[in-house]
Amino acid sequence: MKNHALLRIGSIVSFLVLWWLGSQLSGPEILPGPVAIGRTIIENFVTAGPEEKTAEFHVAVTLARIVFTFSIAMLAGIALGLVMGLRRRVELAVGYLIPIALTIPTLLAVFLCVLWFGYSEAGGLFAVILTVTPFVTVNMLAGTKAIDKELVDMARAFKANRRLLIRKVLIWQLMPYIFAAFRYAFGMTWKIVALAETFGLKYGIGYMFTFWFEQFNMVQVMAWIILFVALMLILEHGVIARVEEKIFAWRPVHAF
Amino acid sequence: MSLNAVEIESLSKMFPAAGGLSRFTVLESLTLRIERGTFASIVGPSGCGKSTLLNIIAGIEAHDSGQVRIIAQNGTKSAARIGYVFQSPRLLNWLTVEDNIRFALEAQNIGKVSWDERVKKYLDMVGLAGQEHNYPLKLSGGMQQRVAIARALAIEPDILLMDEPFSHLDEITARKMRVDLMHILKHAQPTILFVTHSLREAVFLSEEVYMMSVKPARIFKHLRVDIPRPREPEDPRLFDLEKDLVREFFSVLEKDQQ
Repeated sequence: MKNHALLRIGSIVSFLVLWWLGSQLSGPEILPGPVAIGRTIIENFVTAGPEEKTAEFHVAVTLARIVFTFSIAMLAGIALGLVMGLRRRVELAVGYLIPIALTIPTLLAVFLCVLWFGYSEAGGLFAVILTVTPFVTVNMLAGTKAIDKELVDMARAFKANRRLLIRKVLIWQLMPYIFAAFRYAFGMTWKIVALAETFGLKYGIGYMFTFWFEQFNMVQVMAWIILFVALMLILEHGVIARVEEKIFAWRPVHAF
Repeated sequence: MSLNAVEIESLSKMFPAAGGLSRFTVLESLTLRIERGTFASIVGPSGCGKSTLLNIIAGIEAHDSGQVRIIAQNGTKSAARIGYVFQSPRLLNWLTVEDNIRFALEAQNIGKVSWDERVKKYLDMVGLAGQEHNYPLKLSGGMQQRVAIARALAIEPDILLMDEPFSHLDEITARKMRVDLMHILKHAQPTILFVTHSLREAVFLSEEVYMMSVKPARIFKHLRVDIPRPREPEDPRLFDLEKDLVREFFSVLEKDQQ
């Protein structure tokens, strides 16, 4: 385990060194160095930027949007995937529509929603939910197909009631799929929220990309991007990975 | 009060043939009675419908006609308890060994007060004391199957169904498991219906052996093995019995094919 931590720290450090070297070679007006960016990020938190908002406010807005759209997309996707997987008629009826939803480019969905709803909060959030839900659905559908009928028969042979069957047999088999969907949907959500903020929504990290981009302020654009990436990495590795470890303790650790 | 644990009366089961509208008969008016407390084996070639029969008894597969009665040990009206050991362990890999056994206890509505005691008792019995908190995937195939046996015994079944429970194990492990099963059964004495394709296994373990032919399955021979248990796997009397049965089996098979 110690080795793993060292490797991770090593990779971050070498990334910073490469970045620093790059900025030295190209000059800070093309690629600002890590120190300048770090300083700008801290400044953004301490002193209020445009419209008297600090970075804290924008981070909170973006996180709230991510949590909101992600929760709805997960719930809707899981429900739809389960119903499709367990009811053949629903799968036949909806099955052909899913690929359509999957093929519409994300950027286009965001534009469409701007056209429908104008530059409103609802429009942006709807676009995120619209694009993420089908991916969750497809994953859950695959999960229901992978349910081990032998285990279901075992539970029936021991006369397990429906509740026990769901609680101890089915949910656990779906768990890897729920988590795959969870990870994937989370990755999608934060990218699309940032996109929607860049194009339509007021406030948020993506909104700040656009704001500084229009001022041609390279240092600020990069500062917000790095802040965004750092936040998402912390969420992915600090929160989601931990939960996953707990839930999948029963799976043997593979040596590869 | 009947002395039988299982009474099967002219049981028939058909399956739809692949693709077509026709159906083929798997079991045809099969009648079988198993006396309480006996170890009975059904021997037959693969695909003869042995597993189907067990699934019908367990209530996870429907039948077309006939009757299946499982009679509870205490003679009360409450449903008889059926334990089932499958070919593969069919454990819930996300639950600990202990929780796998509790799953069966909970499914059977057995009072929580007795759970700990039963888990311990039956894990001890199958030789897995101390494995309570381990996860199934950390155990060997043989140990997993022992957990499955403990799970089935823990509900203290009126009948224990075993569907080729050792066929997935290597021969050395399987052999040890058979001998151990004999010893386990000195402590717990449920009625057992054991299905196998191995005459040797059937003869070694059982008091009653039923031989089954294929398509449709019918029982063409019933034999009582009078050698007292526990038996030695190398007992020459067992070999002689096996030889006779093999001969008989092939003569019936040839007759069927003509």
